[in-house]
Order: sequence, then structure tokens, then C-alpha cells
Amino acid sequence: MTEKTTLFLCRCGTNVADFVDLEALEAWAKTNAGVDHVYTHDFLCAPAGKEFIETTLKEQGSKRAVMAACSPKLHLKTFEDCATRVGLNPAQMSMANIREQCAWVTPDKTQATLKARSLIQAALNRSVLQVDLPSQHVECKTDMVVIGGGIAGIEAALQAAEAGRKVTIFEKEISLGGEMIKVEDLAPMSECAPCLLAPRLSAIRENPNITVVSGATVTDVLGFFGQFTVIARKKARFVTDACIGCEACFEPCPVDMQSEFHLGMGTHKAIYTLFPGSVPSAAAIDQEHCLHFQGNECQACIENCPFSAIDFAQKEEIVEVQCGAVIVAIGAEVYTPKDLPRMGLNGKSNVFTYAEFERLTCSNGPTQAKLQMRNGTVPQSIAVLHCAGSLCSDGLSYCSGVCCVNAIMAGEIIRKQIPEAVVYNIHDRIVFPGAEAEHFLQHQIQAGTRMIACKNLEQVKIAEQANGKINVTIPGQEPLCVDMVVLSTGFHLGDKAKQFASILNVELDPHGFFKSDHPILNSTGSVLDGIALAGSCLQPSHAVQSVTMAQAAVGRALSRLVPGRTIELETMISNINPDICAGCKMCISSCPYKAIRFDQEKKSSTINEAICRGCGTCAATCPSNAITARHFTNEQLLAEVKGVLHG
Amino acid sequence: MPKVKAAIYWCSSCGGCDESIVDLGERILAVRELVDFVFWPCAMDPKLSDVEALADGEIVVSLINGAIRTSEQEEMSKLLRRKSQLVVAFGSCACTGGIPALANLKSKASIFDRSYLHSPTNVNPDGVVPMEHSKTAEGYPMELPAFYDTVYQLDDVIDVDYYLPGCSPNGDMVFAALSAILSGKLPPKGSVLLPDVALCQSCDRNATKPETLTITEFKRLIHVQADPTQCFLNQGILCMGPATRSGCGYPCIQGNMPCTGCMGPVGSKDQGARMLSALGGVMEGESEEQIAKALDGIPDPAGTFYRYSMSSSFLGSKRKEVKP
Amino acid sequence: MANFEPSIVAFVCNWCSYGGADSAGGQKLAYPANVRLVRVMCSGRIDPEHVVAAFREGADGVMVMGCHPGNCHYRNGNHKTLRRFRLFERMLFQFGIDKDRFMLEWVSAGEGQKFQEVTMAMTERVRNLGPLVISGSVAQEISHA
Repeated sequence: MTEKTTLFLCRCGTNVADFVDLEALEAWAKTNAGVDHVYTHDFLCAPAGKEFIETTLKEQGSKRAVMAACSPKLHLKTFEDCATRVGLNPAQMSMANIREQCAWVTPDKTQATLKARSLIQAALNRSVLQVDLPSQHVECKTDMVVIGGGIAGIEAALQAAEAGRKVTIFEKEISLGGEMIKVEDLAPMSECAPCLLAPRLSAIRENPNITVVSGATVTDVLGFFGQFTVIARKKARFVTDACIGCEACFEPCPVDMQSEFHLGMGTHKAIYTLFPGSVPSAAAIDQEHCLHFQGNECQACIENCPFSAIDFAQKEEIVEVQCGAVIVAIGAEVYTPKDLPRMGLNGKSNVFTYAEFERLTCSNGPTQAKLQMRNGTVPQSIAVLHCAGSLCSDGLSYCSGVCCVNAIMAGEIIRKQIPEAVVYNIHDRIVFPGAEAEHFLQHQIQAGTRMIACKNLEQVKIAEQANGKINVTIPGQEPLCVDMVVLSTGFHLGDKAKQFASILNVELDPHGFFKSDHPILNSTGSVLDGIALAGSCLQPSHAVQSVTMAQAAVGRALSRLVPGRTIELETMISNINPDICAGCKMCISSCPYKAIRFDQEKKSSTINEAICRGCGTCAATCPSNAITARHFTNEQLLAEVKGVLHG
Repeated sequence: MPKVKAAIYWCSSCGGCDESIVDLGERILAVRELVDFVFWPCAMDPKLSDVEALADGEIVVSLINGAIRTSEQEEMSKLLRRKSQLVVAFGSCACTGGIPALANLKSKASIFDRSYLHSPTNVNPDGVVPMEHSKTAEGYPMELPAFYDTVYQLDDVIDVDYYLPGCSPNGDMVFAALSAILSGKLPPKGSVLLPDVALCQSCDRNATKPETLTITEFKRLIHVQADPTQCFLNQGILCMGPATRSGCGYPCIQGNMPCTGCMGPVGSKDQGARMLSALGGVMEGESEEQIAKALDGIPDPAGTFYRYSMSSSFLGSKRKEVKP
Repeated sequence: MANFEPSIVAFVCNWCSYGGADSAGGQKLAYPANVRLVRVMCSGRIDPEHVVAAFREGADGVMVMGCHPGNCHYRNGNHKTLRRFRLFERMLFQFGIDKDRFMLEWVSAGEGQKFQEVTMAMTERVRNLGPLVISGSVAQEISHA
């Protein structure tokens, strides 16, 4: 018995009827061997139309249907739902686009009718080759993992925990805080960073739903949305959780080392915390500097610890966490133009990056917020250079969008402690949008900031003079001679972050930041379902943007990972015939989602049905045609080609 | 027990497939016990009339090698088809056109022009080219077979029962095929007498091919020394293995030469399209310039991808139906 | 050739170029009825065998349209399409088939006008070339050195 299809022709009011001879098509269809019944209707998508479709399909016992109507992008789902309601698999419903791609673009009615006929024939040909696509669901885990414990990660964790989900934060440093913990004044309006952050850190510590794994580097994110496994390597800190950060071991420790936290401008002992009140509170021992690990018998810290919290035998751990979604909030690195001689940045002169300036004005910094020069004296004149190392061919090519704000805020921060200081801002265009911004800028100018406009910031030269003062040459202007220069630099993702992107199999945008799934509709999603992005790893952000992104990312995850709900998988996926597959692995290389893996035992490749998105590029790649792209098989495509050419 | 009658014929052929019978080595003695070759122009002297005198179906199996380029080859193939129970398309030329079918990249006119008129060693002032009908100086009529304007494969002109590809099939393959035929343990009609799987499955270099294979440039063997332990594709050297049937024991690869595809396509009739598509899936290159530069490393795509299977492709043959 | 109307098959990706065709429809931008579309999810699904199949079935010209590079709905399917078909074009040349019979183009969902332009241009070029003849040896459409 020849398989037949029930055909529905839609007049779409006059939209199709006026341009295509539907009566002729109906007459043709009645004699077409592939059609069991044909019906013409005014508006198939209207409630009456849908009812007509469902009643007809049921009464006629139809096995499959073709709707000659508008675009499938508009109404395929509508008609698939009709099919589902009468017990047919949605794959048995297909469409011929005789409106957008025929009636509306073919002025000659005869030609339009002929074209419509061929499009319908193509759909009919295809129709009998379509097979049911079973819908598949997976259980989803509702817990989350946050990678990165800066402000974005902290807010993401708190929000998810509030919804009752278990959250694990993986942080590479020994305690939380990211960049914000190193700052006193938050852009744009000099908000107090410690006032904002301290209660959030306490909230993290107190929340039973949140686990912080610090000193951890994530090495793998396996699985797919709803069923991720995140694997991290947790460094040994040689101090147990019994440590409350009382600092009794600091003084007795004989080893001083450069502090990365102070950006090399201060030191700490080989046993240290980043700052008092850190979360987690436990100290950590730097294995490379600690004498014990160099073969020495030193036990100074152990002898002074009231809690017996030091454990030299602690080992590195591999931590594995199952979760439903991952939020990546690893931040960005400050761009340091060390290699640009014109910046005069050598670690010895009084030229500082803005990040170093923040350390020098932060209460947990090396000078307890006292802004001073390298020799300890107080600067009386400070030049702040905008776009330092940005928008130039030998630095960052792009504008980071956050540095102008910092540069303008510098004046306010400086005058808080050195009211008589002269502050110069050397700038080109100012990137500081918003209603409040102009007001804030004018306030700084009135308070004494001198704005020096310069069209060629790339040609500004900064050089230390013999007497320690800094000479700033500005093209087209009088040169400045100042005590200190602050370079307002941009941000970028370092190599480690870029490597991490490739571990995740997530794309970077042309400027090297994590690329979002859609710039408007899903700016906090990565290209991989279930892996969200927040904060500066997406684009350089101030705290306000980082928090907003984190909340958005978690919001999306919460709405899709609901306890008790399953996740529906894509049905039009591909699968590999293991009898034909020669294990050449070329499909694996071509899959954009790394959905295919090679089975060493069977010596053939298999597709993970939960990750496959159905693009079909593997099916096109396979040199022995071992891969079937469901619903877009070679046979189906050939049948359509025959239809459009011979119909 | 009477011996089984068999025939071996060569069409547009180099003779290698006939020699491959000798590759049986000592096994030829066992074959000789069972098989009586009634017609084998390469090795024996029976005439056309001897074949015509046989009853239809009297020959149990005819192994026909070579592509079909002339009317004589077509006629002989049809004759042997009538006289045989089974016909095996023997060797790449009979199966998929082989090397002779590369001539389909040229027109008959340009081939004649080159061969008979304008080759450097021609002296042909009267521009004489072969003609089907002509007369000698004495007036005797002369006939030559027609030279077709395209190279066909065997199943374009007759019904073929089995296919044994290879350029040429090696002794083991021939022995296995003959054993199957003589014992009657044959797969369904129309099958290839070798596994339906690509070469990579049996190649021991496949383990060195990474799952993230990316090819940034195609290197030619005249420019590089291939690493004898690494998958060729992983070295940027074009190997047709992924789009070529296995079963040959991959002697080329063991000789540190990449597969050139003589065992024909698997899973498709269009070996070139498959290999081309696979390479497109794994090669690198974002900009048009980068892609063009990489592709310059394949100076002859048609010849490389259809080296043995041109008459099996659509673009390079008269075939309308190329269903696998 | 008098009264010759070419048959052109266009393989289009669901997300961008099919949407571009719909956009052309929505804006009533007419293009020749010679061009008939076959929808796939991603242009990366299309391999040369499909294009050759279309020629075999009678197409005089074939188009493959996808998302602009960098905008593929499936990350980089269109990059593979680009590489496959640049290689295919070189091979078509060797078979003596005019390059105007095959066109790879990027059309986004909003580019109704571009869709109209490329389909009209393609139809005109193939109309001028005449019907495709596959004769078993190199086609005579272009001269080889």
C-alpha cells in the first residue's frame, strides 16, 4: 500500500488565494498518488482552522499531513501541536511555504501556481520518508556551580542559594572578593566598597546552601545542561578549617614575600591571609617560600597556633560537583602596559597603574589607604592619563568602557586625603554615560580637577627625571612636571582565562572576551546551554553591571532548572550507525558542540543525544555516510529536490 | 568432479588485474585443480569464436577487469555476460572506472588531438586519426572499434553480480573472492566482496589521529617526509582512507604512502564528494585568503578525489542514477 | 537560448537565509519563480553530494545560502560550508562547468533585499548559460588551457 499524505491548502484570506490558483492545485492534488485527501481552508492557523485540522486528521485516520500555507518559521509549531493533540508525532506534520516564498514574491499567477505545485510535491515526497521523532527528557539537577568568587560570583551564589539551591563557589585565590576586595571606592560615584562587600561575604559564610572551595582551579566541565559535572583541583593550603584567621602565626614566621594582593607594593609572610575578615577565614601557607618545604625544620607557625590548625601533610584534592548549571564569573585582568616605554611604568618610578593606585588608597592595602610615593612622601601633583595602553596599535585595540570613570573618580579620592593636590586628567573622549555622570564630572572640575584634552593620547610620553619627578609630554600642550602619574588602563582576559574558555568549549569574541549567545536576548548566556557568564569576563564591568549580569544569569538558570521538571532534548539530532562507522573521527573534529566521542573499545564514534543540537554538519562530514541527521536525512533532502524540480 | 569453467577478460586495462591472479602464489595450484580457464586473452590463446561456441551460462564465473572505452570492450562484456552465470567486476577500473576514467576530465576531441596530432613526437601532416571505417591503400576495408566519448564502468553496460575493487586486488582478496564463488557462500547479488567499512577502521595509524584533527595546510609528498608512525591527515598529508573501502590490508600505508582511494567509495557512489565534504569539516581557515592558501595544497581536486572512481561520479560520467 | 528558463535549487539554512527569503516575501520583493528552496537547519548540513544530486535531477544552477560567518546559529557550521564549497568550486572548474552555476552566499534573516538580488542575479546568469549538459566528459562551457 502506498503511503499517503493528507494535504491542507490555506487561502490565508486573500494572501495566497489571490496569487495562487488554489482550485487548480486542489484538482491536481486529487489526482496525485501521494495524497489521500485534500482540503482548502481560509485560515488554518485560526482557532476554527486548527479545529478543522484536528477533526479532519482524526476522522480520516491520517498518518501524516502537509500544510501548504505560510512559513514554517511562523506556524510549524502551531500545526505540530494540532498533530500532537490527535496522537500523531509532530514529525509527521510538515509544511510547504506557498505564501512568503511563493504567493508574495511571484507576480505571475501561472508561474506562482506552478511553483506552489512543485513546493507541495517536494513536501509530499518528503512526507512519506519522515519518521516519528521520539521526544526525550532528562532529569535535571537544580544545584549550581559558580566559578569565580568576585562580586559577580558572590551575588550569583547568594541569589541561587536564596531560592533554596545548593551552590558551590570555586575560587582560585585563597579567599573570596575578586577585584572589588582590593578597592575602597566603587565607580561610578565613589561608593564604599568594603561597606558593600563585608555583609555579602558574611552572608556567604552564614548560608548553609553555599560551599566555598578556595585555592581551586576548575579543570573540566563535563556533561550538559541539567547534568554537569564540574571537576576542580584544590591546592593544599596546609591550614585546616579550624583556623579563624587570628593572625597569631604571622609575626613569628621568618619569611617575608612579595604580596600579589598588594600588586608587588608590599609583603606578607609565608603564612598569610589576604586581609583580616576574609572568607574563608583560614590562612594559607605559600609552599614555594615556606622554609619547612625547603627542607628546614621551622615550626614557628605550629608553635604559635592556638587552634592546631596547621597541617603540613595536607594534600591537593580533586573536587567533583554535580550541578544543573554553571555560572562563569572569572573576571578580567588589568592590562598593564609594562612593555610600552612611553608609559614610564617600571615598578620603581612614581608611575602607577590605576589598580596600584587603588591599592594605595584602600584600607586593606600596603599603606593602609595612605596615598604616598615610593619614598613615602605625599604627592602634591598627580597626572591621570586616560586610555593608557588602550585604543592603540601596540596595546589594547578597544575601549574597555570603565576606565574613564575610574580616572575621573581619582580626583575625588585624591582630594579626600590631599585636599591641596593638583590633579590633571589627560583625556581624549570621555566615556561616562548617564544622567548623573555629567554632574559628577562637573563636580570634580569645580573641586579642582584640571581636564587637559588631547587628540593624540598615543603620543603622550611619561618619563622619570633624575630628581624623581615625572615629566609628561603632551602633543600640542605645555608639558607637565608632576610628582605622580596614574595610568587609567583597560582590561583584558589573560591567557589562563582564554585557556579556560577552550576547556569549556566556549567562544571568545573578537576582543578576546567570552562571547555571549545573543547580544540582546541572551547576553549572559554562553553559546553552550547551561553555562552562563557574568561580570568582566564578558566585558569590562563596574560592580553595578557585574551584579546585574550575575542576577540575570542566575534568574535564567532558576527559571529553567525547576525541581521536578525535566528538560526536553532536541529531537532532530544525529546518530551514527556503528556498523558503518569506521572510527575515522572526522565527525568529532567537525562538531561545534563536542557532542561526539570516540569509543576506544568499539572503535567507532557515538553522539551524545543530550548535547547534539541537530546542525547536521557531522552527517555532511562523514566520509562513509554513517551518520543519519534525523528529519534531514539524505533521502529526505533528495526527495525534496526531486519535488521542486519535477513537481 | 568437473572443473568449474571461468573466464578472465581485460577491457581498458593495464594488465595488473590479470597479474593479480598470479599473486595467488602457490594457491594458484589449488585453484587450478578446481577451475578451468576457458578464455583469458592475457595468458592463453582461445579465440572469440571459442567463447561464442559455448552455451549460455556455461561459464560459471567471468572476471572482467578494465574500464569500457571502446565498442569492442562493450561487445565482449555483453558476450561474456550471456555466456556466464556470474560476472564479477574485477579491479577498480571495472568497478568504478579506475585510472582510465580520469580521461573523462578531457573531451574525446582533445584526447585525439593530443595523442595523434599534437604530441611532441607526432609527425602527422595529414592529420590522420583513428576511424571506425577506413580503407587500406589497396582498398581493403578496415574496421576499428568505436572510441566512446566517455569512459564507462562495467555495470554501465552489463548487469554485474559482484564487485571486487582494488588496483589491483591483492592475492588474498582474489583468493577470498574465488573461494566464496567456488563454495557458493556469497552475499546478496550486487554486493562488493569486501567489508562495507572505510579503511580507517583497520589502519593502525588511526589511533594517532586526534579527536580534534585540524588541518591548516595540505602538504604534498614531494615536499615533506611523512612520519611513518602518524596518521597522514594529522600530518596535513591527504589520505583518502576515510572515504575508501577497507579490505586491502592497507599495504600503501605500511609503505609510508597515503591511501589514494583505489578500493573505491564506501557508503556512497560519489567518493570525491564525500572526501571533499569531510576535509571541509576538519580543515581550518577563517578568511577567504586563508582558505584559498590551504586549498592551493590540493592542486588537482578532481584527480585526487576521483582518481579511481570518476565513472562512478555524476559530474564525471554519463550516469544518471548514482544510488548506492 | 530562446525561451530557456533555468531550474535553480537553493539550499537555505533555517535561521538566517530561509528567514531572509521570508523577509523578501514579507516585503513583497519579487524574484524569479525559477528559484525553489530546500530548507535545512544549518548550511553545514549541505555537502557537495546534495548539490551534485540537484544537478543530476535537472537543476541548471544550485545555490547554498547560510548565515554570515560569525553568526551561525550553530556556532560555525557555515565555516565548514565555506571551506567545503570553495574546494567544490575548484573541482567544478576542472569538470568544465561554469562557476556561475553554483553560488554560495550569506543572507541573514533581515536581508530580504539581498535575497532578492542574489536570486535574480543567479537566475539571469544561468539563463545566459543555457541548460546544464553533463555529457560524460569535461563540459564545454569554459575553456581550459
